Amino acid sequence: MDLQTLKDTSDRSYRIAVNKKNALEKAKSSMLLAYSGHLFEANAQTINLVQVLKDKFQNFIVLDSNDNPMKVEEPDDFLDKLIGKQQEALNRYHQSYKEAIKKG
Amino acid sequence: MTGVLLYCFNTDTYRYDKIAAKTVPLLKKYLRLPITIVTNIDTFKCMPPLGFIDYKLIENETGNQINRKPWHNLDRYRAYELSPYEKTILLDIDYFCFSEYLLTLANTDQDFMVHDKVHDITGNDSYRFSRNSMIPMVWATAIIFKKSQRAKAIFDMVKYVKQRYNYFCELYRIDFKNFRNDYAFAIALHQLGGFRGYETIPTNLPTLPGNAVVTEISESHIKWNYEGRVGQIENNDVHVIDKGVAYV
Repeated sequence: MDLQTLKDTSDRSYRIAVNKKNALEKAKSSMLLAYSGHLFEANAQTINLVQVLKDKFQNFIVLDSNDNPMKVEEPDDFLDKLIGKQQEALNRYHQSYKEAIKKG
Repeated sequence: MTGVLLYCFNTDTYRYDKIAAKTVPLLKKYLRLPITIVTNIDTFKCMPPLGFIDYKLIENETGNQINRKPWHNLDRYRAYELSPYEKTILLDIDYFCFSEYLLTLANTDQDFMVHDKVHDITGNDSYRFSRNSMIPMVWATAIIFKKSQRAKAIFDMVKYVKQRYNYFCELYRIDFKNFRNDYAFAIALHQLGGFRGYETIPTNLPTLPGNAVVTEISESHIKWNYEGRVGQIENNDVHVIDKGVAYV
């Protein structure tokens, strides 16, 4: 493989890495959920925690993104919103990721 | 009521009114909130028509510099008294809004929130200030606050810090000797937080460094050239440092 091809490959990898990182940061921002005055990251950890607690209790306490406690009075509603936010953000990330790879 | 508060002061070197002409329509489009611009009479006279905007004309303090050029950033502590809103999204004029992200942040009960982390969208990880001071810096680029005793205390503390900035620079061993709101807020939050901690925005502030040249702006994206490499970001807010953005 000639040097120019190697350079092009390197440039392409750089572009993909930067675009992927930017798309991921954007997804993380999109995953923020404001709920009952608190801020939550609608990530896998939060969703799993709420699902597990919902299976055990009718209402329960969780910590928001700044470790402030919040009583969850309507677990189903909270979980739906978390999942909705997360999937919306990840769908967009999925699209951006595919485009980044395709464009190179 | 929630609203956006912007500071805009032209200098001999930079035309911030031209940057406002680009960022204000984006804020209107994505946030759909009332906007107030704090400015001085000279800048106000340069302002292009921006539609329904409130202006607060003040006589801004002068004397600060960045890269040996005038920098009018000494009045940020007055945002609490100048804001007509119950909840305020206080932004630098070079914050390009391409999403509803700020609405999510404003839809909380927090008294005061600020970014403590930044994300360099060129992928170069340009912003590493951990060795430049004894306390972590915050980014005063985007601040969410509501009228409350705590928020007022923070802004009052920033004023106190500003008046004794050299002392606090020595105390916290801050390398940047010119006044920076980023450090003034970091110090105020550190002091008022009982030297323990404070609430922050959990995501990174997307930032385009000053050595990246903006080449194109639309209603949804921004393109740049960084050392020969072209980049683009879409539907994501960006803090643009390059003041040449005024002329794109």
